[in-house]
Formats: sequence, C-alpha cells, structure tokens
Amino acid sequence: MDPVTIRTDTPACTLCGEPAVILQRHTGRYLCGTHLLADVGQRVSETIDSQQQIVPGDVVAVALSGGKDSTALLLLLHSLFGSRDDIRLVAVTIDEGISEYREATIRSAEDLVRRLGVEHITVSFLELFGDSLDTILKGREPQACSICGILRKKALVVGAERAGATKLATGHNLDDEAQSVLMNVLRGDLMRLVRNSGVDSNGRFIPRIKPLMYMQEKEIATFLMVQGIWEDLPECPYATHALRREVRSMLCAIEYQHPGTMLRLMENKKAVEAAFLGKTVGEPVGTCRECGDPCSGDLCQLCQLKPSLLR
Amino acid sequence: MKLILPDRDTRVIDPAPATVEAILQREGINPLEVMVSRDGKLVTEDTVVGGDDEILIIRISHGG
Repeated sequence: MDPVTIRTDTPACTLCGEPAVILQRHTGRYLCGTHLLADVGQRVSETIDSQQQIVPGDVVAVALSGGKDSTALLLLLHSLFGSRDDIRLVAVTIDEGISEYREATIRSAEDLVRRLGVEHITVSFLELFGDSLDTILKGREPQACSICGILRKKALVVGAERAGATKLATGHNLDDEAQSVLMNVLRGDLMRLVRNSGVDSNGRFIPRIKPLMYMQEKEIATFLMVQGIWEDLPECPYATHALRREVRSMLCAIEYQHPGTMLRLMENKKAVEAAFLGKTVGEPVGTCRECGDPCSGDLCQLCQLKPSLLR
Repeated sequence: MKLILPDRDTRVIDPAPATVEAILQREGINPLEVMVSRDGKLVTEDTVVGGDDEILIIRISHGG
C-alpha cells in the first residue's frame, strides 16, 4: 500500500499566526521562533531588572561551561549589555578534567566567546587542586556531585576574582531551581531552602545571580535551536549518581500533568525566604579557620574535603 | 511514517494520524524533555503527524 500523505498544519503562534515551535504550557500560549526569542529576552531582562541583578559599574563573571544553559545565558547577557560601556562581561570556564565530556563543551565555549568577542578565563581543577576530577573521584563515584560541587564552587570564585567581578552569573534554569527547592525539602535542609546567594554579604563574597531562573529547560533548548546554535552535547557521566536525576524525572512528570508546578515551587521558596528574612537559620556566616573563606561553622566544606583529596 | 529516536535508532511506524504527544507517550518520553521536528521543522506536542512525515526526537541534555 502506498504511504498516505497527511499534512496537518502546526498550531499557529498566538501572537502572529506563524507556525509555532513551542507550546508554553504554563501560559497556554503557542509561540513561533521569532516570538519565542523576544519572549525569552524580555523575561530575562525583567528578572534582571526586578532583582537588580546587574547594575551600572558591574563586572559580571558569566559561568560558561559551553552547555546549553550557559551558552544561552552569555548570548542573552551579551545582547542586553554587550554594547554598554558601564557593564563588563567576562566568561569563566571551569575545566574539571572529565574525560569524554568536558572537551566538547569547552570547545563550544571557546567558539562562542571568540564569536562574541568576550574576554574568557579558564580555571582547571588540575591547576587549583592538583588533580583532575576523574582522578579525585576514583573509588568514590557515588559522591561525585557533592565533591565536584564543592570544588567547582571554589574554582568559579577564583575565576570570578581573577576577572575582578562584582557579580557571578550562572545559567541555572527554572527546572534546576525547582529541583533544588524540592531536594532541600526532601532532605529537610531548611538552611539551604531559605538561603539567597544573590544577596551581598557585606562584600564577603561575590553575589551570585541567576538570570535564567524563570526559564524552563525546554524554552532554553528551543531558544538555541531556532537560532541554529543548538549542539547535541554529552551529559556529565557522573550525573547518574545524583539524587537530582530522580527528582528531575519526577518533577518533569508532575509539571507536564500540572503546568506551573515548577513556578509555584519557586513562589513558595520566595515566601519561605521572606518569612525568614533577617533571621539566622543554622549557624551564622563565619570565617574558615584554614583558608579564611566565608562559611558556616569554623571550617569550610573545601577545607573539610581537602584531607581526603590528599590520599 | 519514519521515527528517529534520540539514540538515532530509526523505525517505520503506523502512518495513521497521531499527535506527537501520543507518539512520545508510546515511547515513554515526557514531551518536556525533548524537542521534536517534522521534516526538519520544530513542532509542538499537539501537532498531528502522519503519512510519510519524518519525525525526529531530540533529547534535551541536562546541565551546562
């Protein structure tokens, strides 16, 4: 039997009638490529403005792994601030030393900064900690994400300091943020739940900003795809060990059935933050007795980890 | 209808009209975790496909 030819038009963009590339389930709108780009740009700009994430005089270190989120972040920040004389962007890439993974994303990061003409700083685990992550993790792969998280955090701060940064921008999206809220609830970790790393702690650390925090992962991927800059890059091989993987799958299933769930989780986090504003949860921010970095308790997580790194 | 899965496995499926969502559900894939193109153009999950359409499912890699 000859194949049946059926052409059914794609649903039309709610704003212009062109073929839609995405259904924004939380708003019920269909958007074409042009209107998706405009919508993402506008919402990111609103997030930045409403939280005063970036102000004149800022030097913004943009954490750039070369993956989709950080690529979209740098593109958006460059389009918003690239021509401004009073705001400087510096991309910071961390090379953890993860074979068959990081090489591809670093290449992608280098291509992007070259194309945009953005200053670029790379910091490696080998340089900072004396070993690659692959070597450090041998025999303790199940702890990969918590160990890497501590080391990456330090490496990003070093990179941001080398850039002379006043803000550190990361590409965390709505899915990441909602997962973190749920994970902190599941772990009963109230301190992390109410912590806001975007608040300046009297100059003791560089405030972190997350301009993509209200963008869904699918919106970001589609944003890159319609511009022809989507790259099918590998995922971190250690991510299989993380609780986050289970939470992500569960939350994504709930979001699909009940659109807006992730946004509501974020609203709840803001309400909890507001309720604890000015109150100290857990130990106050102190100073690490070994390295002098700000931390809770008297020894930071990195200095707690260091003895086991010197096996 | 030709279906290309995220792992590049390709198969021919029933050409009867079906939504992208129904095809993804049959494959156990959440539409929020993928992008889907028909004959090279992105489509939404409620688009009806069929006939000799080529459907490509692109997994959205996490992280980065």
